[in-house]
Amino acid sequence: MTKEPTVSPTPGPGDDAQPAVVLTGVRKHYGATRAVDGVSFTIARGEFFGLLGPNGAGKTTLIEIMEGLREADAGTVAVLGTSPWPRDRALLPRLGVQTQSSAFFVRLTAREHLATVAALYRAEPAAVDRTLALVGLAEQAGTRVEDLSGGQRQRLAIASALVHDPELLFLDEPTAALDPQARRALWRVLRDLKGAGRTIVYTTHHLDEAEALCDRVAIMAEGRVSALDSPNRLIAGATSATRLLVPAERLTLAQASDLPGVSRASLEGDVVVLETEDPGPLLAAVERTAGLHGVQTRTATLEDVYLTITEARSTSERSTTS
Amino acid sequence: MSAYAALRGAGYRAYTRDRTTLFFTFAFPLLFLVVFGLIFSGQDVEESGRPYISYIAPGVLSWGVANAAVFGVAFTLMQWRRDDILRLIRMTPTPLSAVLGSRFVLALGIGLVQAALFVAVALLPAFGLALSGRWPLAVPLLVLGITAFLALGAIVGSFTSTPEAVAAVANCLMVPMAFLSGSFYPLDAMPEWMRTLSWILPLRHLNDGVSGALTGSGDLGDLGVAAGGLAVFAVVFGVVAVRCFRWSDRV
Repeated sequence: MTKEPTVSPTPGPGDDAQPAVVLTGVRKHYGATRAVDGVSFTIARGEFFGLLGPNGAGKTTLIEIMEGLREADAGTVAVLGTSPWPRDRALLPRLGVQTQSSAFFVRLTAREHLATVAALYRAEPAAVDRTLALVGLAEQAGTRVEDLSGGQRQRLAIASALVHDPELLFLDEPTAALDPQARRALWRVLRDLKGAGRTIVYTTHHLDEAEALCDRVAIMAEGRVSALDSPNRLIAGATSATRLLVPAERLTLAQASDLPGVSRASLEGDVVVLETEDPGPLLAAVERTAGLHGVQTRTATLEDVYLTITEARSTSERSTTS
Repeated sequence: MSAYAALRGAGYRAYTRDRTTLFFTFAFPLLFLVVFGLIFSGQDVEESGRPYISYIAPGVLSWGVANAAVFGVAFTLMQWRRDDILRLIRMTPTPLSAVLGSRFVLALGIGLVQAALFVAVALLPAFGLALSGRWPLAVPLLVLGITAFLALGAIVGSFTSTPEAVAAVANCLMVPMAFLSGSFYPLDAMPEWMRTLSWILPLRHLNDGVSGALTGSGDLGDLGVAAGGLAVFAVVFGVVAVRCFRWSDRV
């Protein structure tokens, strides 16, 4: 049987209704530091789940607990129906973990490295070249790992997570070192994997990426989950304000303040920014006053929601500790 | 391909593609053979009446093989842990026995090639080593010795996290041990208390065994004692090495 990693259905025993990950009250403390402080959520099979948050929010610790690299101090962790801790050699081949971009067997070529990883997972040898092609490294197959560029190393690390066709993938900032073309190419690979029924747990600092790819995102701050929902619902729930950007040479601040429905007007560089709760009448008024040519409309993005949540969290933290 | 075969293959390629380390692994003991061979050329040890070369050749050979076993595995484990390669292996269903087993086979291969090359050079007229008829017994003794020193190196590799630390710790263990075990200087010419102390050092047993097999010093019982001593060190170091083993510095 030949298997295509992008189209084969999710293998595995059990019913599809069984969630991929179930966390209940998970805690992990390092001395006085509460790295993970009571996290509970469920990731469904086939879900593309984003884990967002500033550095030090506890994302890495939480991911490592799910991967079975760390033991939770308290709470329960079920990954594909079983506990990942202690090391469970039956569970491991069903998980794919993106490695650090330094974690390559020295002095091997890209293909030799990936073939070694495939053998460690007992994956079929044909998967090696297929996976290299999938991440766009077919031409670099014979290049020593030490001679790969940053982006190529990152793609090889991602290939190490995919080569054995796992059911559940953990990807940690997979696009961090990629140029825009490679980033978009990886998005396509990830969407194909999701289309084939894979579950993906994803961390990133690119909020546009989370918005474009993830079914749901959890925003972490100070070891806790501050928000958890689909990107669209998070954005809709956070703010209803719309911003209109009008070229400054066609509208003065004084004129702007007199327009209907403007809650705030400010000059930012060469544009006047109008904030409103009701963009319809305001747009009509702007058309009459300044014309619509060059006018841009901005609604809230996931980044706005993220910044609001993480800043509110750190502000409240400061006020309680001071 | 099994996990063990994959790791052995990756290790073999990494090793043979690092020409500098490869060259010096084999050249280092030979260098000592040349230096000591020139210093003690044609001389006999007063206490026993045997030529120096029959002490120095097996001694330097044992030390060279032991040194390569300790340094090789210690560097590899430290570097694999630092670069998260052990973490990668940890996330695959690979058993720890495949990781350590692959290093063991590589160390055996290196040690036996080192020994063959070294003996071939020592047999040259310039050095004048005369082989005893029971020289094949050196092979099982070298295997036991490499096992013990590989386990010692694995312990060093688990407690160090930089190449500098590996070099410092391994040198601190191996250089004094070489002198105290008679690798560079005949034990027969050392004070009584030093000879007694040397029994607690694994290299003493490897020296005795390899010397007995190659030059015919002592009887078969002495070889048995050497083999038994090395086996005890291999078991003790092996147990400690498995207990100390860490997949990651961060967990």
